[in-house]
Amino acid sequence: MKNCIEIKGLCKSYGDFSLNNIDLTLPGGSILGLIGENGAGKTTTIKCILNLIRRDAGEITVLGHDNIREEKLAKQDIGLVLDECFFHDTLRPRDVEKILAPAYKNWDSDLFRSYLDKFGLPEKKLIKEFSRGMKMKLSLSAALAHHPKLLILDEATAGLDPVIRDEILDEFLGFIQDEDHAILMSSHITSDLEKVADYIAYIHQGEVVLSDAKDAILDSYGRVGCTAAQLEAIAPDDVLRVRKGSFGCEALVKDRAAFARKYPMLLVERTTLEDIMLFVGKGEAK
Amino acid sequence: MIGLITKDFLVMRKTLMSYLTLVVLYIVLAYLDLFDYGFIITFIQMVLAVMPISAFAYDELAKWDRYAMSLPLGRSGVVRARYLFVLALTLLTVAAGLAGTALLYLTHQSDPLEMFVTLMVSTTIGLLIPTILLPVSYKLGPERARPFLYAIVFIPTIAVVLLVKAGVLDMSLLKGMDLLAPTALAGGAVLLPLAGLAALGVSYLISCRIAAGKEY
Repeated sequence: MKNCIEIKGLCKSYGDFSLNNIDLTLPGGSILGLIGENGAGKTTTIKCILNLIRRDAGEITVLGHDNIREEKLAKQDIGLVLDECFFHDTLRPRDVEKILAPAYKNWDSDLFRSYLDKFGLPEKKLIKEFSRGMKMKLSLSAALAHHPKLLILDEATAGLDPVIRDEILDEFLGFIQDEDHAILMSSHITSDLEKVADYIAYIHQGEVVLSDAKDAILDSYGRVGCTAAQLEAIAPDDVLRVRKGSFGCEALVKDRAAFARKYPMLLVERTTLEDIMLFVGKGEAK
Repeated sequence: MIGLITKDFLVMRKTLMSYLTLVVLYIVLAYLDLFDYGFIITFIQMVLAVMPISAFAYDELAKWDRYAMSLPLGRSGVVRARYLFVLALTLLTVAAGLAGTALLYLTHQSDPLEMFVTLMVSTTIGLLIPTILLPVSYKLGPERARPFLYAIVFIPTIAVVLLVKAGVLDMSLLKGMDLLAPTALAGGAVLLPLAGLAALGVSYLISCRIAAGKEY
């Protein structure tokens, strides 16, 4: 299984914000979910992968190609869906094909039309008359129509209703059935990533604070609900982060089973990616 | 790259169609002796000056640049497409101007040389405006580049008027052009847009350099 994206030691500084030493790997046949707060560095990482911004240090390989030296070659096999639809309001879906087909060697008109049909997008309707969901489906149709090997999605499902999101997520799952295909998906909707992602990378204040297989994270991490007195009794090394409220305290633990054995009087529950984000973003170290 | 040129035409199709309709209308009015041929030429010049900036403005509205730079074309490919759009517009407008010249010559026996020279001069001015404005638009964006359009048009005009009034520039010298042989005048007129094209080439290299250093 080849890696579709390899990022080593990526650094990018804007003065008031910097990406520090980002290391990420996206194996073929899988989906890597990129999570993090607004401004944490997810989009900056994606922009670096696409060479839209200059990195200060590090190496990025996309589908075996250096993303700067062999930029055009790498981008031939990338499908991109960003948080907005970038096609002008005065265009129609059939115009999108006229624009993109000459740019890609493997553009497949039949495939593009089949996606338009599948998503119920009229070829001749002006894009300005499309709903947000329709615009995202059009972006996805355009991203898939040249048989890409790598899909890069930046908040692609944001603002969509659960039915459309589910439809699009199904499409992603179908896409990675091929071992050569992979998806890098940045999203705030952690429930979507819990459904489809194989790996999770959590970027917090420009650094990767958690990177592992999703199942390993969800099977291992746990959330402990307790009183302030019970929290005091827990050894600091046994919890990663704590949150103290007026109604009680919560702690994030890395090894749920080990914690339950050591503290049988405390209830440890499964945690979600959202819980982990809240612990890291709003919690504190013990 | 062809796709991006197509995109500019598709996005601007309504504007282009209305401009072309106006050109045809002006030609008909000139044919009926209700309008001066020079006005058509000035209009063509205006189309050449305004359209590329409008294309930039539409792109900015759609936040297109970030997407375009993600396509497998390279930054210079994206810039090249915009310059080729300008060239295609130039060809279209010159063709419309030549058609008007031929029509008025055949029907009104108007002086074709004078009309041809006017067309070449206006095409050159029409080329020089995007030559300056495209790098400025790449550097500053279309909104901040727009005042430069007015500056490019009005500052030379005001300067010429002031120089003539101050007696520094003698416009009667232009009458000396009548003494030139028609072939020499036509040949010289053709050289002007060629010089404009060369300037556009230099402008392209500057825009490529600006785009290469830009973050999207």
